[in-house]
Amino acid sequence: MAIDPPKFKVAKELSREDIFLSLARVPGSERVFLGSSDSNVYSLDGAAEKLSPVAMPGHTSYVTGLALAGEQLVSGSYDRKLIWWDMATGRAVRSIKKHDKWIRDVKASPDGKLIASVGDDMVCRLWDAETAKLKHELRGHEALTPTNFPSMLYTCAFSADGQLLATADRVGHIVVWDVASAKSIATVEAPGLYTWDGKQRIRSIGGVRAVAFSPDGKLLAAGGIDQVGNVDGLSAKARVDLFRWEQKESAGTLKLEKNGMIEFLTFHPKGDWLLATGGGDKGVIAFIDPAEKKVLSENEAPMFIHKIVLEEDGPRMFAAGHKKFAVFTATQDSAPAK
Amino acid sequence: MKTPFCGSVEHDVSRRAFLGTVLTGTAALIGQSSAVHCFAEPALTSALKAQNKRVILLWLAGGPSQLETWDPKPGVITGGPFASMPTSIPGVHISELMPQMAQRLKHLCLIRSLNTKNADHGQAAELMMRGRIDEASLRYPDMGAILARELARADSKVPDYVSFYTATEGREMSKLTPSFLGARYAPMKIAENMTPAHLHRTAGLTEEDHFARAQLQEMLSLRFMEGRDIAPAKSHAQAYARVHGLMSSEELFDISKEPTAIRDKYGPTLFGQQALMARRMVEAGVSFVRVSRAWWDSHGQNFETHQEMVPELDRVMAALHDDLQQRGLLENTLVIAMGEFGRTPDINASLGRDHFASAWSAAMFGCGVKSGAVFGKTDKLGKKVEEGEVNEGRLFATILRAVGVDHEKEYHVGARPIPLVNPGIKPIVEVLA
Repeated sequence: MAIDPPKFKVAKELSREDIFLSLARVPGSERVFLGSSDSNVYSLDGAAEKLSPVAMPGHTSYVTGLALAGEQLVSGSYDRKLIWWDMATGRAVRSIKKHDKWIRDVKASPDGKLIASVGDDMVCRLWDAETAKLKHELRGHEALTPTNFPSMLYTCAFSADGQLLATADRVGHIVVWDVASAKSIATVEAPGLYTWDGKQRIRSIGGVRAVAFSPDGKLLAAGGIDQVGNVDGLSAKARVDLFRWEQKESAGTLKLEKNGMIEFLTFHPKGDWLLATGGGDKGVIAFIDPAEKKVLSENEAPMFIHKIVLEEDGPRMFAAGHKKFAVFTATQDSAPAK
Repeated sequence: MKTPFCGSVEHDVSRRAFLGTVLTGTAALIGQSSAVHCFAEPALTSALKAQNKRVILLWLAGGPSQLETWDPKPGVITGGPFASMPTSIPGVHISELMPQMAQRLKHLCLIRSLNTKNADHGQAAELMMRGRIDEASLRYPDMGAILARELARADSKVPDYVSFYTATEGREMSKLTPSFLGARYAPMKIAENMTPAHLHRTAGLTEEDHFARAQLQEMLSLRFMEGRDIAPAKSHAQAYARVHGLMSSEELFDISKEPTAIRDKYGPTLFGQQALMARRMVEAGVSFVRVSRAWWDSHGQNFETHQEMVPELDRVMAALHDDLQQRGLLENTLVIAMGEFGRTPDINASLGRDHFASAWSAAMFGCGVKSGAVFGKTDKLGKKVEEGEVNEGRLFATILRAVGVDHEKEYHVGARPIPLVNPGIKPIVEVLA
């Protein structure tokens, strides 16, 4: 099947001094919520002529996770707190401090009933989205790296049917969980996304920064940065590892042309392509054919993109990144595949 | 030409090379009329040397971020994601990544107002290790060489100056050299391993033979010196004695002799083990030990880098502080923690911080500095020094004074006086005990 990945251009953007690290969008609308390095969650009407974010204070450090579960907006931050918000008023409804270290990611299950949060205490916590009751603590990641430094639990993702959850850490250890039983059902390793330099600089860089299941749940994609020669910076190719996780086997590795780190992954609803975004000194947006294991297109973005949301059936993408929020729209010669 | 014992990466440390260099260096020094006279001066028995003052420099190569260590700015755009935490000094906060040092801050002396103006790794490393820029025709001795010269006893059986630097990045940037002080004060560099190479006796040479050879050397040396007062001959004999001392101090390099509880406090990392080794060395009489932790140069992923490295620094500094204190060594030992510069308040697109020498921090504890002193202040965003700006020269003078060395002292290279710091440079008296 010929795949024509969409080509995008910037339709609208908002430049800032702070960094947008997380993003959630109200389905069917242009209303977005942004998590910022200035500790605020922002509400933003993307349809407005002039983009004017409204601050929702409540956190005290970088807001790294935002998830919409039905009517619930939940944010997670390096301040270790999860906050449930009243979207109408922009006020915090409840605040929970259960993670002992930074919260790195917050995701909602597709049915909106669960919230998953991961943090550097190396625990994934599953919450009832409506009541904020803690349902499970998933422990499957080591606190220390093999060289005795702190590890980090960066990311998590639900499968499209909500039955699976993947969690991934700094050294490339990925655990697939059965959500109903809260049991680990498989692990796969992506050591190529973690560089330990034990000779030149005696420190590390990398980690699995994004995971995503294919629509059928069979394929698992992990994003980050390839093996780095100089760990001072993001001086290696942005990289995506694919796994047939049930067989615990690799389904291929893709390296982009650009140096940098993949921080967000999402599959096309039919699995036609995989969208990978991130960056280094500059941002990158890439479309990958997971079946053929090749990069279909790779474009420079106006900023390092930390999170992106695709419009369900429209031509737009909403992106949060380094000192910028941007709305991308498909160019006329290419409509997004459906 | 004989290669220096201390050597660069290519030049392995060895007792044979050590001996060869000391002797060669001595001969060259004595034969050179302009060289400073290192061996025959009354100061060798001075009160200062008798005080057994020691220095440990934790050299944080590559430049750690002041914002993620000693001078946090939470809540501002440059502050980064880490919180600050209260310390044992009321009203003073440091990064949450340093909880152990936060408890011990009342024993520390912080300088938060360094403006050293040079943000190039190599130049800045030389600057901080010398306290000034070399002249075109004159390379100044580094901090370790000067302090070894001023603090070490002539009859010491252990090295005067040891430098650990295991990472390869930046290892040669400081260009450690005793310069005109002579090879005696060159550092013993330990790079690849925890111990100097070839420390052990040559295979096949028995302990008895080794001892007999030493006795023969000593007898011949004494006979030669009868009725003579020749510095090179004395130096020759001293060098042999020091090599024998080094060989007999084999256990010094074996931290497995330490109780498990002590080793656990320093932690399992190489930096921790080398810091423990440094404590053993100052205890045994080594005057200056540099323990390098490289490489902090976090142009990308600054926060992950500091999340990885600062807790290690916190643990190692706390262990070293407590260990020295419990052994009664702290009153005679100065510990310094610094790099060649700090990092930019601005956060780049890769979530990194770049080189920054305009407003950064250093920490000290131990002999000669005030406990609980926090000197200087940076502005709200950490971009410039607001109060108490000091440079590399003043920090260098402060370190000298803290261990009792007169910073206005002059060496003489021939007829030319060479002051230990540039004329007019004053120590930061506010932090001196």
